[in-house]
Amino acid sequence: MKAMTRQTFIAGLALAGLTLTAGAGFAQNAPKIGAAAPAFSVVDADGKPQKLSDFAGKTVILEWTNHDCPYVRKHYNSATMQNLQKDMTKDGVVWLSVISSPPGEQGYADGPQAKNLTKTRDAAPSNVLLDPKGAMGRAYHAQTTPHMYIINPQGTLVYAGAIDDKPSASASSLNGAKSYVRQAMTELKAGKPISEAATKSYGCAIKLAPTT
Amino acid sequence: MGDRSANRFLRQGLLALALLTPAAGFAAESPAVTSPRLSATLVSSRDTVQPGERFQVALKQKITKGWHTYWANPGDSGEATKIDWTLPEGYAAGEIQWPAPKAIPFPPLVNFGFEGTVLLPVEITVPESAKPGETLTLKANATWLVCEKICIPEEGLFTLDLPIGPAAVVDEQAQQRIEAVRAALPQPAQFKARLTGEGDRLALALPGIGKAATDLRFFPLSDTLIDHAAPQALAAEGEGASLQLTRSSAFKITRPELSGVVTYREGSIPRALTLVADVEPSLVTAATEAAPSGTAVVRTPAPPPESDLTLWAALAFAFAGGLILNLMPCVLPVLFIKALGFAQLAQANRAEVREQGLLFLCGVLATFLVLASIVIGLGALGTSVGWGFQLQSPPVVIALAVIMALIGFNLLGAFEVGSSVQGVGHGLASSGGRMGAFMTGALAVIVATPCTAPFMGAAMGYALTQPPALALCVFLALALGFAAPVVMLSFAPGWLRLLPKPGRWMVILKQAFAFPMFATAIWLVWVASVQAGPMGVLAALVAVLAAGFLVWLLGLSRGAGGRTRVATSILALLVAIGAGTFVVQSAVPSDGPSEARAGEVEAWSPERVAALQAQGRPVFVNFTAAWCITCLANERVSLSRQEVKDAFASLKVAYLKADWTNRDKVIAQALAEHGRAGVPLYLFYPASKGGQAEILPQLLTTDMLITAAERAAGREVKTAASR
Repeated sequence: MKAMTRQTFIAGLALAGLTLTAGAGFAQNAPKIGAAAPAFSVVDADGKPQKLSDFAGKTVILEWTNHDCPYVRKHYNSATMQNLQKDMTKDGVVWLSVISSPPGEQGYADGPQAKNLTKTRDAAPSNVLLDPKGAMGRAYHAQTTPHMYIINPQGTLVYAGAIDDKPSASASSLNGAKSYVRQAMTELKAGKPISEAATKSYGCAIKLAPTT
Repeated sequence: MGDRSANRFLRQGLLALALLTPAAGFAAESPAVTSPRLSATLVSSRDTVQPGERFQVALKQKITKGWHTYWANPGDSGEATKIDWTLPEGYAAGEIQWPAPKAIPFPPLVNFGFEGTVLLPVEITVPESAKPGETLTLKANATWLVCEKICIPEEGLFTLDLPIGPAAVVDEQAQQRIEAVRAALPQPAQFKARLTGEGDRLALALPGIGKAATDLRFFPLSDTLIDHAAPQALAAEGEGASLQLTRSSAFKITRPELSGVVTYREGSIPRALTLVADVEPSLVTAATEAAPSGTAVVRTPAPPPESDLTLWAALAFAFAGGLILNLMPCVLPVLFIKALGFAQLAQANRAEVREQGLLFLCGVLATFLVLASIVIGLGALGTSVGWGFQLQSPPVVIALAVIMALIGFNLLGAFEVGSSVQGVGHGLASSGGRMGAFMTGALAVIVATPCTAPFMGAAMGYALTQPPALALCVFLALALGFAAPVVMLSFAPGWLRLLPKPGRWMVILKQAFAFPMFATAIWLVWVASVQAGPMGVLAALVAVLAAGFLVWLLGLSRGAGGRTRVATSILALLVAIGAGTFVVQSAVPSDGPSEARAGEVEAWSPERVAALQAQGRPVFVNFTAAWCITCLANERVSLSRQEVKDAFASLKVAYLKADWTNRDKVIAQALAEHGRAGVPLYLFYPASKGGQAEILPQLLTTDMLITAAERAAGREVKTAASR
């Protein structure tokens, strides 16, 4: 018994030592929960420039989308996404759907196509942002479609991750799924800390134009 | 790629399903489910299966060039292949045995998966009751995501009919292919990896991988550990390698261990190892501590149900548990005789009685504090121990057996203890000294450690999930509960007047109390026999013999002259050294996990639970240990009752036993997941796949077991009338 305790203790010391030496690594700049959300400057489906600073004082929800991705289709075919958009914008939240696919890739849409998608799907975003060069996608480290972000009225990123807790393309997975976005918005509204502020997004890989 | 073309893809997927025709005759490979992206079949290593055997089948995916399917953790996007089995009763299918994945870059992302042709092996268990001459129909509903740049979810329903015969007939070709894949599966690493971290950086130390290794890559099973696409820089770390990793932006570790696969090359030879890594404890609780804002707090997932106790409830439970510990057969004699000591003293000196009561309390508190510090300290260092952990060491069990036997001899009057061995019983009956009262407290705690009283389990489980300060409070509440009866007696000795006058009856009672102590000693010797086999029994009995001889020798020397004293001391020393060496050398835990001892009971494993649930069977799990007296009582009083056995049989309840007599990491982890630090723990899993377990109380009754079985099975016992 004593011997085991001692061994474990030594292992613990070694571990503590390692912690101090674990150093040299890779600096990365993924947006941080609790820090200022990355700025963006893109155009909307009407060609009008849109900047994050335009929405200061309002809660902003970003939804990365690709209308042909099976995971996105799961949420639109069931009207789950449209209902979420309607519930959120009704409360004065700004909902921005972001299309980062470049021309020639799945999910790409130009202005008229994007507007048509909104109309035919009965979607209700406040606006659709076009990011065919992928700059905004890279700034936010958007990885999948869908990928969701919530920015509070102070411009702080308060949520990043999945739309819900069921990483599946099957429509049946919507039953009993917990919406991380609804949960975060409820907590945000109540002035409570967000209990699950960073989750692993799921879906189709985001398609970004190569950097030049 | 427009809406319409995506629809076409989906339709093709459905079409591929429709192409499935029923298998003509028996074949070791199912018809293929085909799409332009992938062709999948279910392959069996057997043409004919044999009752009682385990054999391998595999989902084979022939993937079109440019496309890929996914590993258990798909990486930045995607979804792992899943298989749902429909099997006849009694059969079980294991988990997918994942081959080592490839990192498939898709800048700026990376996916983990497979290209070309991949076989995903699964082990099928055929029950002994399978009847030769009949046919086994394996049904697998598999879903997978296949991606190029775009992703298509596909599924296939595979059916394979295999005849059951008296002897297995191997399908040589399929067997070879599956075994080749299994031979290349990641092998368990022979070393323990360590994950440490600071800020956004993590370091994974791989002490068993030499400096000659190249192309190292770590694939975590959890998708919330690392930034999958970040470079994994290699650094030398003492004798081994260390990978520099970057935290995932959704970083979350919920347990002190994590697993994954590391792939590398040694020269031109590709290697793959499955790792289990110890995680630096601070990483487990601090989720995204990198976030500076108070607006976003990331919590670890919902605490297990039993830990929903509030601090006050845990304290109350601990106090009650401590009180009840007094009634345990090994503790009661010690305390009762202490109380009798008070009775004798009471007439003379009330102040002294009070002082002794407080000293007893100090002894109890001090001993509990030592135990608590060990348990909490080890827990903080990531070693999972629980209440009763010390009994997992055979030398400790034997030492306790010796103490019990010596107390027994002392109570019988076989020897009187002088000042030299004070505390090992002397202070029990006589007034003793101050030291004696303190030591009695310590002794009482030591003899109580084999017991877990009702209420204690929940409190201990709560304690070990809390910060050390709160955990200590719970232990202190337990100690106070434990000491309360004796301390109260010492303050109100008036109660003692209810007893008859001190006299001969006290001597008789004292002698009678020797027998529960001997009984406890016998039980501990039996525990040693389970842990260390026949040598353990021999070691325990030799230890008792030597201890008995020693106290007898010491007794002799008390009245003797100087020279005799020296001689007996030397002899005593020799006996002590000889016996001690023998005991320590013999009492080695036997290899491997101890087997489940009851007939129809199976050994527990998390995979087995999942497999049984998938078959639609409710599962009862008994977490027990030979040294846990509450566990043994439950097994006697309720679990082995015929009504319970009948109900379990008619509801098709599978009874699994997790034996914690010796140390076992997996079991300790399962206990922790259910908010417990020790055994007993009783779980009832519903008969639905992935259904969460119901936790039963620590004291079982037959009615409680039967109704819990009914809940788990979702129906009532058919033979309810017989109850």
